[in-house]
Amino acid sequence: MSTPQANPVSVLIIGAGPAGLSAAIHLKKNHPELDVVVIDKASGPGHHNLSGAVVESAALERLLNPIELNWQTSEQAKKVLIGQVQQDDLLFLAGKCAAFKILPAIHLAKALGLGFGQLSHRGDWICSLSRLTAWLCELAQKAGVEVLHGFAAGEILWNEQTHLAEGVRLVDQGLDKEGHPQPNFLPGEIIPARIILIAEGCDGQIAEQFIQKAGLRRRSPQLFSLGVKELIKVSPQQYEAFGNGRVVHAMGYPLWTPLIGPGMFGGGILYPMGAEQIAVGMIVGLDYPYYDFNPQDALTLLKQHRWVRRFIEGGKVIEGGAKMIPEGGFHALPRCPQTGSIGKSNVCLLGDSAGFVNMLKIKGIHNAVYSGLAAAEAVGANLDTPAAVARCYTRLLEENGVLKEMASAKNFRQTVAKFGPLQGLPLSVLGDWLPQFSVEPDWKTMRRRRYRLKPAVRFDKDTLTAVAGTAHREEQPCHLTIRNAAVCKEKCQPLFEAPCITFCPAGVYESIQGAVKPANPSNCLHCKTCQRKCPFDNIRWRCPEPNGGPKYKTM
Amino acid sequence: MSDYIVLVKQVPDVSQITDNAFDPNTGNLIRTRLPSVINELDAQALAFARRMAFLAGDQKARIIALTMGPPMATDVLRYSLARCADIAILLTDKALGGADTWATANPLAWAIRKIAKEMLQDSQDYYIVAGMQSVDGDTAQVPPQIAEELNIPCVSYITDAHFQQGRFTFTRIISGGSQTVQLRRMPAVLTVAKYEYPLFASFQRTRQASKIPLIQWDARTIQAKAVGVEGSKTRVIRVFPPGKTTRKCQPVHSAKELAQVIAQSLRQASAGEQAQEKGRAAYLLPARRKSPFDRSFEGTAKELEDFQVLTQILQEMKITRLEEITDQVCEKILQDPRVDFHKKALEDMIEGYRLTDPTYKGEVWVVAEQDENGIHPAVFELLGKARELADSLEVQTGVVLAGKSARPLADSLIAAGADKVYLLEHPLLEPFDPFVWRKAVSDVWEKYRPQIVLFAATPQGRVLAPMVSYRTGCGLTADCTGLDIRDSSRKKQIAILFQTRPALGGNVMATICTKDSPCQMATARPGVMKRLDDNPSRRGTIVSHWVQLREEDRSLEILRTEKGTGKVHFDSDCIVSGGKGMQNRDNYDRLLNLLCTAIRDRFAVSVEKGASRTAVEQGFAERIYQVGQTGTAVGPKLYIAVGISGAIQHMIGIANTETIAAINTDPHAPIFKQCDYYLIGSAEQVIPQLAEELRTMG
Repeated sequence: MSTPQANPVSVLIIGAGPAGLSAAIHLKKNHPELDVVVIDKASGPGHHNLSGAVVESAALERLLNPIELNWQTSEQAKKVLIGQVQQDDLLFLAGKCAAFKILPAIHLAKALGLGFGQLSHRGDWICSLSRLTAWLCELAQKAGVEVLHGFAAGEILWNEQTHLAEGVRLVDQGLDKEGHPQPNFLPGEIIPARIILIAEGCDGQIAEQFIQKAGLRRRSPQLFSLGVKELIKVSPQQYEAFGNGRVVHAMGYPLWTPLIGPGMFGGGILYPMGAEQIAVGMIVGLDYPYYDFNPQDALTLLKQHRWVRRFIEGGKVIEGGAKMIPEGGFHALPRCPQTGSIGKSNVCLLGDSAGFVNMLKIKGIHNAVYSGLAAAEAVGANLDTPAAVARCYTRLLEENGVLKEMASAKNFRQTVAKFGPLQGLPLSVLGDWLPQFSVEPDWKTMRRRRYRLKPAVRFDKDTLTAVAGTAHREEQPCHLTIRNAAVCKEKCQPLFEAPCITFCPAGVYESIQGAVKPANPSNCLHCKTCQRKCPFDNIRWRCPEPNGGPKYKTM
Repeated sequence: MSDYIVLVKQVPDVSQITDNAFDPNTGNLIRTRLPSVINELDAQALAFARRMAFLAGDQKARIIALTMGPPMATDVLRYSLARCADIAILLTDKALGGADTWATANPLAWAIRKIAKEMLQDSQDYYIVAGMQSVDGDTAQVPPQIAEELNIPCVSYITDAHFQQGRFTFTRIISGGSQTVQLRRMPAVLTVAKYEYPLFASFQRTRQASKIPLIQWDARTIQAKAVGVEGSKTRVIRVFPPGKTTRKCQPVHSAKELAQVIAQSLRQASAGEQAQEKGRAAYLLPARRKSPFDRSFEGTAKELEDFQVLTQILQEMKITRLEEITDQVCEKILQDPRVDFHKKALEDMIEGYRLTDPTYKGEVWVVAEQDENGIHPAVFELLGKARELADSLEVQTGVVLAGKSARPLADSLIAAGADKVYLLEHPLLEPFDPFVWRKAVSDVWEKYRPQIVLFAATPQGRVLAPMVSYRTGCGLTADCTGLDIRDSSRKKQIAILFQTRPALGGNVMATICTKDSPCQMATARPGVMKRLDDNPSRRGTIVSHWVQLREEDRSLEILRTEKGTGKVHFDSDCIVSGGKGMQNRDNYDRLLNLLCTAIRDRFAVSVEKGASRTAVEQGFAERIYQVGQTGTAVGPKLYIAVGISGAIQHMIGIANTETIAAINTDPHAPIFKQCDYYLIGSAEQVIPQLAEELRTMG
């Protein structure tokens, strides 16, 4: 019953998502002698991965061609990849009924070489990110990578003297609600590691901690949006009518109606997911001002829109989830002030942890993959000089086009944030010529304004959390902290009526006897919207015991 | 130094059941659609074994994880290695597949013999630790049957262990309380009913676990005597989805109306009983039927239908005697368009017509269980069922009554339907020791050879029945909710017991028959069967049976027995639950107690309090009161939800309830769409009024 001694891991990757797994697979393939360990807080492959998703085929080719012959025709690919986009509809919804196709405008923009032209998905693969991730996990394990789910990093061990990371400490397990050890208490183990790749996803706890400890800076604060998504089982006729190779992106109603409002950034999506299932989602920039607004309300309205309704009416929601997206783009990339590296010495930031989402394409998975490949190469080239990994990684990102692409979209999101969709969208056409606008973080944008389209029916959050399969061990310290309860009571409630109760997609927050509390932490979907949208920056999300959170299968 | 063999099982994760997991055509659960996990109680057993080693200060104790299953069951072994196991053994073989509990216990016991001999150097100082039951089968039979095969004691339903003066004392659940015991002999089987601290995987161990080669044994290596379908003593006849109840969702507008709803729900017989009452005609033995072609008591719908078609055709052909069915007649029958069975089936059916004698002979027995308050109520319920079965079979009912001086209890059993009471009196029969009892009950069974033996599915019955059934060579079905005498003429079985029980956490129902056994045995859930009205003028015989028991037969030292403390009675007729709407602990206690007392006083039924998860989180109630998916699943006659919104996780936990009434201030509360009756209003207002109405109503 003795527990073995800890040997340092050559390369520790935090987060088994597309970025981390891409890095792991290629590293292990090129350096089989290395022990490459990927840890993830989810209970199983893909359980915490959610996206639309459409993935650029070039990214999958670069990832999979070297490791899997004929991957396109493999059984796994057939299960995971629904199809390539043949029909790419971009709609502008005006009110509850009207819909206009505006793709010709995008083609025009592309022809004119404007940034907007990037918003085209033809040829991309439609897939569920949870499934894609599960597949990558399999490939990684086949390659000899140790992919270990159920291990959550709680702290990065950063040596101030050497400016090197020495490992991570996992989160404690087996504490009771008050924080006292139970008989099965397992203090957070220390995993010593020579090189660490942080691929935790959006607003990662270790990533943000590392940015602070290592003194990385962002030129512009990170901006976020929240995506809420449902998987709906529809009738064969409806599915047939929608088609297997078509993706729909919808702008306008219910987020934005020019002049009369509301004016929010975002839009809806409809993707086919095979087996007569359609994914319907809504992505909303968290810089919205309405205190009674909830992105799920917008999803409800989208689903009721006449154009959308016909495909999903009478269908059954079989899965659902929510996740944040880092939208700040190029200016929000955390960099070392001295070297400009995205990471520092033996630590790199990958994928959404860095914020490689291109808002003109509204896509980031391809960049997550490319950043993983770059990291694998950088590690391989610096096995004897771990401190040089981050700089090499950043240089490779320049060379493989990720940073160039990010730069091409650099002002888009900030321009919209600054001027609102009405002036911002047209202005952003000027793309490169615009100066960098300073923007406020999302939590500062809330105003005492109501969302006038608020639907009469409340979104059923309980069912959403049930179909998301989310749960945590209940007898553990609450992983959500309200920093100062007086702020809620004296400032937030009088002014905004505690918007966390409304916007939390899982209904974690409740007012009990007048006090706002994270009353249902067990329902948490790990989207972390609360710590980014609380109008008084009064909430902190901490990684709970691993194996908790959602259990996405087809998100 | 003791070693520990922990039995672990891979099960489908029934907590993750979505509609997706059911076949849309048959309504059956598709097991492959569910992820596989370690059976939760086995995870607790693993932690319990480590805890015992820790308490004993035993640094050198070895923990050996043993599982039987398909090759993918290695996952649970890796799980065990990642936590505390030193050795992991997988018992896997096609020949072992399709086994019932008998053919599972047998190979596991043989594997344990091999472990003891080869790895533990023939030491007697080891424990076999297992979860009390698995979540897919819910039978709790395998560990006691292993104990029986190895002829060693079994301590079941353990919740805690202490180590004093070099010995373990165990706390275990018994009907209505708890007991502290010590073992008198080793080795022993321990089953863990609740140990809330399953171990977490250690990172270093997990890395190592994936690299250690597992030990793999097949059926031949262990030389088991009964394996697979062949070695099983029960067979599953069919699996079907449980009947779905649709809720009425009727609003009530006043406390007075709600009081009437409560009265009506509590007085009404449960749905199961109703279905039985208005159900099919009582079983008739073939000899009693008017025609030899009357096969209207077949056990499955398919057979019933085939026989109906055949009988109809024979009638049309004016055939009244079996001898008239010639080969030509058969040819003709097979050409009939209504016939969709083959020649072989037809031959079997005609052969079936010839059968008139019941397959089993003998009485229908119930094994009694009692404490200082008298006979356990479930025994009377079983007796009601035994009476019905015996009447159909035209045999007598018998009750096995064992104890130190149990004779005074015999009359009540006769009044409740027993024709005979087999009285086993011996000082060693009290207090209950499964090792002693299984010997005594098997002994009386051996002498009188009944055809059916029923046990109550109580903590006592669920350890005694598996041991007795294994000892007597009989199949056993656990936790039945339906027991019927039916024929399976084509299989040449007449008047056999069809045993229906829920499985997979109540998500499916299964009908099971005994095979290759001298007698049919079952345990039945308390509260499901119906007790007959007492008839004090009934006559019955008391048959004294002398059984030879010795001091060495005792396996346990019973140190303490405590009743009714700190226990929640979720098997009550009525459960009154409070949620967030109770506002605070004061309200929760005051209002719910008020309502519980009012209902108890008025209707003389058992009433218990419950709580939603939020209420527990807010400290209104202790966690043991939590009802729902993560708390306890309940199925009372009446469930009153006060200030509970109706989250799906909560509603799943009360799905088996007969009637659900909800009180909530929020007119849009989701619970209103999932209950039978609802009243919009606050608990503080409604409950005092309701209590008053209940007190004064006519």
